[in-house]
Amino acid sequence: MRLLVIEDDTTLRESLCRQLAEAGFGVEQAADGREGLYFALEYPVDLAIVDLGLPEISGLDVIREVREKGKTYPILILTARDRWQDKVDGLDAGADDYVVKPFHYEEVSARVNALLRRSGGWATSVLSAGPVTLDTTRQELKVSDSEIELTSYEYRIIEHLMMRAGEVISKTELTDRLYDQDFERDSNVIEVFIGRLRKKMDPDNSLQPIETLRGRGYRFALDRNQDS
Amino acid sequence: MSSLSARLLVSVSLLLIFFFGVTIVVLDSAFREAGEQAQEDILDTQLMALIAEAEPNPRGELEMPFALREPRFGNLGSGLYGALSDETDAPVWTSRSSLGLDVPYGPRPESGAHSFSRVNLDDGTPLMALSLHVQWELANGDLKPYTFSVAQSLDSFNAQLAGFRRQLFTWFGAIALIMLFSISLVMRGLLKPLRQIESEITDIEAGKRESLSDDFPDELSSVARNMNVLVGSERSRSERYRNTLDNLAHSLKTPLAAIRAILTEQQSTELTDRVEAQIERMNDIVRYQLRKPSTAKTESFGVVAVPVDKELKKLVDGLHKVYKDKAPEIRVDVTAGILFRGDTGDFLELAGNLLDNACKWCESKVSLTIRPLPGATIDSGGMSMVVEDDGPGIPDAAREALLQRGMRLDENAPGHGIGLAVVKDIAASYGGDIEISGSALGGAKLSVTVDPD
Repeated sequence: MRLLVIEDDTTLRESLCRQLAEAGFGVEQAADGREGLYFALEYPVDLAIVDLGLPEISGLDVIREVREKGKTYPILILTARDRWQDKVDGLDAGADDYVVKPFHYEEVSARVNALLRRSGGWATSVLSAGPVTLDTTRQELKVSDSEIELTSYEYRIIEHLMMRAGEVISKTELTDRLYDQDFERDSNVIEVFIGRLRKKMDPDNSLQPIETLRGRGYRFALDRNQDS
Repeated sequence: MSSLSARLLVSVSLLLIFFFGVTIVVLDSAFREAGEQAQEDILDTQLMALIAEAEPNPRGELEMPFALREPRFGNLGSGLYGALSDETDAPVWTSRSSLGLDVPYGPRPESGAHSFSRVNLDDGTPLMALSLHVQWELANGDLKPYTFSVAQSLDSFNAQLAGFRRQLFTWFGAIALIMLFSISLVMRGLLKPLRQIESEITDIEAGKRESLSDDFPDELSSVARNMNVLVGSERSRSERYRNTLDNLAHSLKTPLAAIRAILTEQQSTELTDRVEAQIERMNDIVRYQLRKPSTAKTESFGVVAVPVDKELKKLVDGLHKVYKDKAPEIRVDVTAGILFRGDTGDFLELAGNLLDNACKWCESKVSLTIRPLPGATIDSGGMSMVVEDDGPGIPDAAREALLQRGMRLDENAPGHGIGLAVVKDIAASYGGDIEISGSALGGAKLSVTVDPD
């Protein structure tokens, strides 16, 4: 999952991005509204964290512009202005949730996970489809109740696929989600990771959780369980 | 006396009473004097006629003929009386009209002199009497003193005078009333702009308009202009105040957030816990102090009325987003068209804190009811706001403590205490109060009142 963090305070932004990256997110950061808006519109983003008090373009205007351009990914606002008017304005402009400064990192990460899960249509933090369950808070993958060891790249791919179970995800999108912008992209690597995931999750090829659609991408093919 | 038109009417009335009073006195005395003069002339004529008809008899005494030329002397009670007396004041002759009456003719004058006097009959009828004392030269050349007297009743003259006075008062009274009425009409016209300015200021206070209109007469237009400048500066002052507070909150809390972020990256030590506790304290202070009501009600000059239903819709939509997972059913029951007279931020702070707490603590149901206070209209600003939930409720013992500023009942639900303390402060600044009780839904019931203007 790729996050965009727009926050003008360098210490806060860098520390927050470091912690989110450690948690397995791909993180893009912007220090002002103008840069942030550019990233928000041009980069592949699954969720944006936007501070309301930004230089150049205010957080509220960034959110409005992003929504006006048709982007539907969840937006979490960081606000030091604790007044309800600001929260209501932010939510009304198109944000989905807010965190009030000074926040604990855990608060932000809990909201981020919940928003991502919701945007994929999941009701709980444990995504389960057939015998496969993915606990997004613990980052644990289980197939038929036995835990599967994953590298962080493998986890990011299965999380992305499962979050949007049923949708076709292109290789380019997966590559975007996997690497930070600066790295050289190589879509062959995706095929390797998908192959490894299939082997780990479905050694006897009976489940076939990940479907390949030639020329279009991949799809998590198992039906979501009712209660998740 | 506070009204200009009342002052003017009273002063004009006093002036009218004074001038009309003097005029009435002058006219009345002129009329009366002229009338009295005329009466005296008539009496004089009658006296002369009486003297002309007197004849000495062969005994050398004066006698009056039986029938006089003036018939009223002969008619009983005609109001005209005559008498002739000799030097001993004994009457030689009295007119038939004075039969049975004891007509006093006043003191005898000096010889050859007229003497007018005012006298009364026994029954109180006022008379004007004239006596003339003469030395009558008899045929033998002797002089004998006689006194001729006539008297006339003043009844008809007095009635005439009273009629004149009645007319005088009626006419002047009518003129005075017409003048006062026209003056008050003129005053109404003149004071109309003043009343307009007053009602516009009331509207501004009530939040129904933003500034005074600019179609006042020259004398008032500069007042209106200055008033608008004042209203504008008042409004921008409270906006500036709010912005300053917001910026201050922002610039204090961002570093706090940064410190906290840095701490989180450290391995937990006793030091980080202690710093964390201090961050929490500073945060509480900043939150509480900088979220106070933006304007005290008494200073709320120039605020515009807030349409409650519109603001609530945005707030409830927002809460639905924030509590999407919990998905509480938020039932909103608001009297249509009700207005909050004050700052939008203050209203959202009241409703936002109450609803947020209810959503946080409820099982699945939250209800919000806003009604005008008993006896208040929907645009008076007086309202009661009741928020209920089906959560665990608030125990009796904790209710008072919860309303104390910054006190927290449960450390795990941050902000509960501060939110309510802020609600209490805002309600108080609008002359209202907050009360915690139990709800029929099973949880807490928070009732906030806001007084009307």
